[in-house]
Amino acid sequence: MQKRRVNVSLWVGAVLVMLLIILGIIGPYIAPYDLDFQEKVKNVEVNGKTVIVSPPLPPSNEHWLGTDKWGYDLLTKLLYGAPYTVFVTIIAAVLRLLIGTIIGLYIGIQDKPQKWWLSIENAWGYMPIFLPVYFMLVGLNRNSELTIGTLVLLFIGLVGLLGAPSVASSIRQKTEQIKETQYVLAATSLGAGREQIIFRHILPQLKEQLVLIAVTEMIAVMTLMGLLGMFDLFVGGTYMTFDPVLYHSVTNEWAGLLGSYRGFVYGNNAWMFMIPLAAFIFAVGSFSLLAKGLRERFQETYHRTPFI
Amino acid sequence: MSYIRQLIGMFFLVVIVCGGPYMLYSIKEEVHFAPESVVTYTVYLLQQIGEGSLGTYYSGNSERSIAQDIVPFALNSFELMFYSVLIAVLASLLFGLFLQRFAFARHFQKLLNLISAIPDFVLILLSVLAAIQFYKWTNIRIITLSPTSDSNNMWFPLTMLAIGPTIFLMKVVSLKYRQIGGEDYIKTALAKGMGIWHILIHHVYKNVKPFLLADLKKTIALTVANLFVVEYLLNVVGLTRFIFSKEGFYQFNPAVVGLMSIILLSILVYLLIRAILYLFERIAVYK
Repeated sequence: MQKRRVNVSLWVGAVLVMLLIILGIIGPYIAPYDLDFQEKVKNVEVNGKTVIVSPPLPPSNEHWLGTDKWGYDLLTKLLYGAPYTVFVTIIAAVLRLLIGTIIGLYIGIQDKPQKWWLSIENAWGYMPIFLPVYFMLVGLNRNSELTIGTLVLLFIGLVGLLGAPSVASSIRQKTEQIKETQYVLAATSLGAGREQIIFRHILPQLKEQLVLIAVTEMIAVMTLMGLLGMFDLFVGGTYMTFDPVLYHSVTNEWAGLLGSYRGFVYGNNAWMFMIPLAAFIFAVGSFSLLAKGLRERFQETYHRTPFI
Repeated sequence: MSYIRQLIGMFFLVVIVCGGPYMLYSIKEEVHFAPESVVTYTVYLLQQIGEGSLGTYYSGNSERSIAQDIVPFALNSFELMFYSVLIAVLASLLFGLFLQRFAFARHFQKLLNLISAIPDFVLILLSVLAAIQFYKWTNIRIITLSPTSDSNNMWFPLTMLAIGPTIFLMKVVSLKYRQIGGEDYIKTALAKGMGIWHILIHHVYKNVKPFLLADLKKTIALTVANLFVVEYLLNVVGLTRFIFSKEGFYQFNPAVVGLMSIILLSILVYLLIRAILYLFERIAVYK
């Protein structure tokens, strides 16, 4: 008998995700500066000489993570953006899961395979999801007069709806398997209706699967947000200036900051890019760790080693 | 006949996706949804195709003919896609199947699994950062991001594009290897004293192949999704240039033509990979 190992990924991942959620709640309140505080060009006396200091300022005691090119404090921006990053991700993933599960359960319980749904699933499986989301939102998102709330809700709705078929697919397959089991047959012969079978007999079997799908979908949504950020479409609105052409994230959401500062990767002030990147990797990494931990935990004990 | 029907279906899917900006837009503080406006654009596009041209598009301020640019663009994209998928298939067969029994291949896979936790586009950004840092330290230039430079530095985008599909396909193949490796017929073959390579080729490979083919389509879809990012971030002039122009407004005609060509290219890549696998079998398996 093997000794039960402590599931490190699960614990570390769970703690980090909790940290993210806490950061999302209190972020704007603990930010060191106001969102519109701007560091201006100023003269500073160093060793008896007057030196002109202009943003971007590198990380220092006043600005822990430095400022961007326009003098805004990066830590403040990240903290104000945290709620959008964390909660948009979580809500969009849960919406996906909800829609996908309902569709998957009701399609899977049918006696015959539903050809029309299978063809949708099939065709959609090959579509990179960021394309339809990008094209749907690009007309709305830039210099929009819509409120941030509307844009965020639109994003969540679109991502939830367009991503649902892939969730539905795995739920449907699992449902089709469980449908064939003896206890479902027994329940049917005792007179259980469709809803009874779905909610009493199939859904409880899917519990672990659902938790795992929720977390993997969070990773997927976050990746999607990052990708859209690369193409200058930021969650909650893109503020675009025309001369020069620059894109700013209205909500300071992390993927958006990453997208809007990606030009600085080539310059000498690469920290401006590295810091949102680090924040984004931290966020994706915590969800990934949690997913890995959950997968290890749920993995069946049934395990075969190959002979060769 | 069914192929033609599928192609027409794909065309309409592409039109619907590309028509997004015309379908959903905002005036003042209201969101408007007008799917009918896409029809006029589509009719215009079909008219131009009927006249024998693909129309024009704006690259910066100059108006260029799509038909003229599409061939060199498509060649670049094809090169990227084909070699990436080829690398993915070869690497996953090699490390996931034929060398799986050696410890180093398994460690290599563990490393790749670790990397796969990071989204692909972040990997691309990180490697650009690393390449720049490398240049600063050693003065050796390993990447060039200028699209007008000579194209012999295609290897960097190629490597970046190959990472995603390779990780995915290798996972599939090695999972199947582990399942099939535990089957009784493998045990029997071993007990009969057959050579390990014989078993790998005639028992494991033949049984892994259906799963490999089933996931080959998914692999190509993954490559296409990454193609957008790679071409956009690394300044490769390819078909996605028609869809996402760096500066400027959204254009319907080139987007539909570009997306449709990418789909056709991916079908071509699929067929070519199938042909290569067939050749491999003729040479190594059913000789």
